[in-house]
Amino acid sequence: MSVTVELTYDMSKALGVQRFELEDARTVADVVRLARARFGEGEESFEKLTRVAAVAVNGVLINHRKGMKTPLSDGDTVSFLKAAAGG
Amino acid sequence: MIKGYAGRILEVDLRSQRFAFEPLDEETARLYLGGKGYGARLLYDRTEAGIDPLGPANPLIFATGPLNGSVAPQSNRFAVVCKSPLTGGIGNATSGGSFAYGLKRAGIDVLILVNQSAKPIRLEIDGDSDRVEFIDAGELWGRGTYETQEILGKKKYHAVIGPAGENRVLFAGIVSGERIAGRTGVGAVMGSKRLKAITVAGSRKLEMDDPEKFKEYTREVRKIFEEHPVMGESLKRYGTGNVVNTTNARNILPTRNFKRGRFQDAMKISGEYMEDHELVGIKSSCIHCPVTCGREVEVEGVGRVKGPEYETLALMGSNLEIGNLKKVSEWNYHADDQGMDTISLGATLGFTMELQERGLLDAGLAFGDPSGVTEMILDIGHRRGLGNDLADGVKRMSQKYGGEEFAMHVKGLELSAYDPRGSFAQGVEYATTNRGGCHVQGASMYMESVGPLTINPQNLKLKADLPIVQQNLACAINSMVLCMFTTYGIVPKAVHNMDPNSFKYRAIAAVFENSGPLFRKLMSMKGKPMFWFDKWLTYITGETFSGGHLQEIGARIFNLERMYNLREGFTARDDTLPHRFLHEPTFAHMKSGHPLDQLLPRYYGKRGWDPEGVPTKRTLEKLQIRV
Repeated sequence: MSVTVELTYDMSKALGVQRFELEDARTVADVVRLARARFGEGEESFEKLTRVAAVAVNGVLINHRKGMKTPLSDGDTVSFLKAAAGG
Repeated sequence: MIKGYAGRILEVDLRSQRFAFEPLDEETARLYLGGKGYGARLLYDRTEAGIDPLGPANPLIFATGPLNGSVAPQSNRFAVVCKSPLTGGIGNATSGGSFAYGLKRAGIDVLILVNQSAKPIRLEIDGDSDRVEFIDAGELWGRGTYETQEILGKKKYHAVIGPAGENRVLFAGIVSGERIAGRTGVGAVMGSKRLKAITVAGSRKLEMDDPEKFKEYTREVRKIFEEHPVMGESLKRYGTGNVVNTTNARNILPTRNFKRGRFQDAMKISGEYMEDHELVGIKSSCIHCPVTCGREVEVEGVGRVKGPEYETLALMGSNLEIGNLKKVSEWNYHADDQGMDTISLGATLGFTMELQERGLLDAGLAFGDPSGVTEMILDIGHRRGLGNDLADGVKRMSQKYGGEEFAMHVKGLELSAYDPRGSFAQGVEYATTNRGGCHVQGASMYMESVGPLTINPQNLKLKADLPIVQQNLACAINSMVLCMFTTYGIVPKAVHNMDPNSFKYRAIAAVFENSGPLFRKLMSMKGKPMFWFDKWLTYITGETFSGGHLQEIGARIFNLERMYNLREGFTARDDTLPHRFLHEPTFAHMKSGHPLDQLLPRYYGKRGWDPEGVPTKRTLEKLQIRV
């Protein structure tokens, strides 16, 4: 099972990647855990960057579903996004 | 006269070249504030049903409000009202820039232009000597909006049209500085009058009831705005393009003529990308605005010009599947210079590309391919070749070439860049807003899709109530006349700093989402001034305003506009969304599209309309609407 993870602009800049694939992530919590392991615990670590971000699965915010326990299916897209924008 | 108003209407007859200053009607100002509200009242009263929008009987009304001419942040916008040549219903558009400030300095609340000139002219209005000069504009005719304003002198207050307005492109706008009153074809009406430009001058000062309180409070508000996470940070740093990545992540960024809500290259047309790669300066031609959302970019062969804002980035970027910011900036420049609305333009180009893809038209345009677009924009502005058809917008194109099921407009107005399949309240707004498919006549999407405290955008809770509150507020805001961005400050900074996945955040959002009629009731309560809109109006006019007062005034304006449209032959059948939005799902969990059929009857009931969408006698009486 594979999901696509898309990062915010600032995260992409800091980590040098805009989107990547993750295998075996069954929930959003798995995505965060696997991505943290991938990007390490440095100054601009994934953990720090995700603290201010909202998360959507296929366009739906996880706080309208089951939060970090939101289940994932093969082919899903998990997007990190700024908590608020306006224009 | 109530303070905050100059107390004068200037009426100019372009045929006889006569003019007269008349007193502003105080009662109308009390009921409709100014701006688009006062303009709607005048349009309703002064015109017969069925007039030709591009004929002499259609007046072109420029209206300011009581906040214009002050130093309140984001307060110098003007409204233009007329019958729309694009929709056949109420036409209006607002714009920043400097023209509203100029009108108030000239001591003019409302400028009404009637009849048509036989040849191209421009007006010079001096509010100090009460003179209006009618000047031959033959030399200016055919010139772009940039050059026209350059010739007229940068330090004066202008409203001009470009070739698109002259050639009556149905989505032409009126430009002030680098801002445009873009929607509903108000520029085509100015072009039909053969009026190239209006320049105003004057040195009158705005009289306020309590200037000291106003000054002191404005300092406080300026600080709030400057420190606000959206107004003072996102918008200031990235411009309105800060929204691109959010709408993309939430699957509502128009892509491939609204076929999808996600675009692979969204990041490359975002405000953040612009800041890193294309930005050469921050530019805002709106007087007294601390937000400065305007961008400045370099366009090859042209120089430094205004950069594209969110709607343009989406409609002319993702909607055409173009992830090339340089190209979108170039097209934005040409559209501004021609003087046309980039929302309608982008939607029309997207529709044309889909016609091409389906073999219904050979326009030489294709999704993902920038070739031919620049030439087509110029052809539209000059109504040359196929551009002559595109200049009539999506609705008329679909009537001529087919494709009505993917013609993305409401009431003839092309849709803005928030896909309602992921933003249900916004969909109700699109369907019911009097000028057609537009986002700034309420902006419910801020509360459900992009803002800091977003309710679930895809259930039915609050989706009939929220648009009503938002539409009413927007009517009042557009009549003061303020920038809609001032409403962003209502959600305090503390909420922005909350973790969106925290229990506290989710609990607040859940309470809001389930508040339904209580929310509307709370918003309608009359009391003491609370937000800056109320306080500014109170300090300036000396009358008491609160959220409830603004809801009532907004509802009055909204219902009067509705009555105008009904008089023009619109019915409940026009309160709809494009077939694509209603029947083609873009989310895996959805079986169909937007559930408008479930929400519209509820909306009508809450509005005080009958099942056919007609305001009841009781509703009209309650709101003191004379029809």
